[in-house]
Amino acid sequence: MIYKNIGQRIQKAREEAGLSQEELATKLGLTQAALSNYELGKRRLYLANIEQIARELNKPLNYFLEDTVETIKTNEKKAQDETILEISKLLSELPLEERKNILEYIQWRKEKLK
Amino acid sequence: MIGFDLTEELLSHQKMAREFAEKEIIPYAAELDRRPGTVFDWNIVRRFAKTGLLGLNVPKEYGGLGVDMLTAVIVAEEIGTACLGIMSAAAGNWLATTCLKHVGTENQKRRYFPMCCGENAGLAALALTEHDAGSDMAGIKTLATRKGDHYILNGAKTFITNAGIANFYIVFATSDPQKRHGGLSAFIVDGDSPGLTLGTVEDKLGLRSSQVGTLIFKDVKVPAENLLGAENTGFLIAMQTLDMSRPCLGGAAVGVSRAAYEIALSYARERKQYGRPIIENQGISFMLADMATEIEAARLLTWKAAWLIDQGMDSTKASSMCKVFATEMAESICSRAIQILGAHGYTSYWPVEKYYRDAKAMAIYEGTNQIQRMIIASML
Ligand SMILES: Cc1cc2nc3c(=O)[nH]c(=O)nc-3n(C[C@H](O)[C@H](O)[C@H](O)COP(=O)(O)OP(=O)(O)OC[C@H]3O[C@@H](n4cnc5c(N)ncnc54)[C@H](O)[C@@H]3O)c2cc1C
Repeated sequence: MIYKNIGQRIQKAREEAGLSQEELATKLGLTQAALSNYELGKRRLYLANIEQIARELNKPLNYFLEDTVETIKTNEKKAQDETILEISKLLSELPLEERKNILEYIQWRKEKLK
Repeated sequence: MIGFDLTEELLSHQKMAREFAEKEIIPYAAELDRRPGTVFDWNIVRRFAKTGLLGLNVPKEYGGLGVDMLTAVIVAEEIGTACLGIMSAAAGNWLATTCLKHVGTENQKRRYFPMCCGENAGLAALALTEHDAGSDMAGIKTLATRKGDHYILNGAKTFITNAGIANFYIVFATSDPQKRHGGLSAFIVDGDSPGLTLGTVEDKLGLRSSQVGTLIFKDVKVPAENLLGAENTGFLIAMQTLDMSRPCLGGAAVGVSRAAYEIALSYARERKQYGRPIIENQGISFMLADMATEIEAARLLTWKAAWLIDQGMDSTKASSMCKVFATEMAESICSRAIQILGAHGYTSYWPVEKYYRDAKAMAIYEGTNQIQRMIIASML
């Protein structure tokens, strides 16, 4: 997963720099197949590899790593959003009186957590 | 690639590990398992050091055995047949040296690798887990604050194998807990750093000869040159290190399963009830057939993960698969071995109850099996 995300970033940065896989591979001293495997996330990328690629493509190291972190963050966010979605879906199926009770309960919980 | 004959070199490492396990581990395993309290037995380190196994994956130019991952897995299986508890001391080193090997600078390697190599080799450890950050590594709160040419570490690491007895620790800390994954960095911390102390040493169900405890950091000064990789790259470093160490854990799980299975097999052939050996009942022989089949399958999975690593390919999914499969198999095979031995298997006269207690831990450490399933699922 991690390598796939980093690989996509490498491809994006390479294309932005207007380089073909072959051109970047030559600069890095790699074969085109090896770079292609990096971009596809099939080969293990060590930090040193990423640092070298970052230098060649003139990007900060974080450009390649933050993506991984971002994906994790969005996954975490998504999980939260899904619970909210689920709650509102179930709530809408309840009669008004019940919905009011639950609203009160949520307000009470929120008060308690303060 | 398909072909399962081990090369001469692999066979010679396997033989070395097997002889070491027989002569230097098995004779002490039961005694260390039953000792009261939690005092670490330093003879474990001395015996390992004599064979160079503490520096198993340290490249030869730094004094290690410099083996590839497939060899390491085969060695781990042999040692796993003898005692997972005693093995833990060496496994702590393997974790730390795997990390150093892949991200360490030349100076870091020159300074720290020799501490795990040769006759005087000592221990090392990898310290990730904290009270509030187990599975969720991004919850790490141990703070690393840059001050001039040093970092200052404050916090505590829990459940660390080789805590308090290692020459150096690879410690994961954060520059800002709010940044979660993005704020983690890895540091090499000398075992004798002022301000670094050993807290609780755990009294455990199994792995009783292994020292697992809490490390407390109070204003521990770490030279800036001891930062591993770059700042804020700790998450990637930790993930990679664990990915590359899981096949050895798989190998060890195959080893303990093999030991339990072999005892169960010979017992089932000897033990007579109703006038015939119990193995003549399908209820027993099918259990043994399943055990043999599962061991074979788990071994192949660990070899595949190791092979991927040796090829420089991404092994994340295969590593997690071999960890889940082999460690759950180990617990279940040890349980079935106890069943085959009946009441005898439940006593400490036979080693299978110890194997069972030891094997249970493997589903928890180096990422619980639930977390492995999350990794596998994310890559389906
Ligand atoms: C013998 C031993 C040696 C160890 N050695 C080391 C060491 O050398 N270095 C080190 O850093 N750590 C070490 N550990 C710690 C180990 O890595 C942690 O115990 C492990 O990562 C789990 O953390 P936790 O115990 O806090 O469990 P928690 O993270 O609190 O998990 C509790 C339970 O919840 C489950 N769970 C958590 N999150 C999820 C989720 N999102 N989905 C589904 N289930 C979930 C877990 O799988 C587990 O079953 C060791 C542990 C043991 C037992």
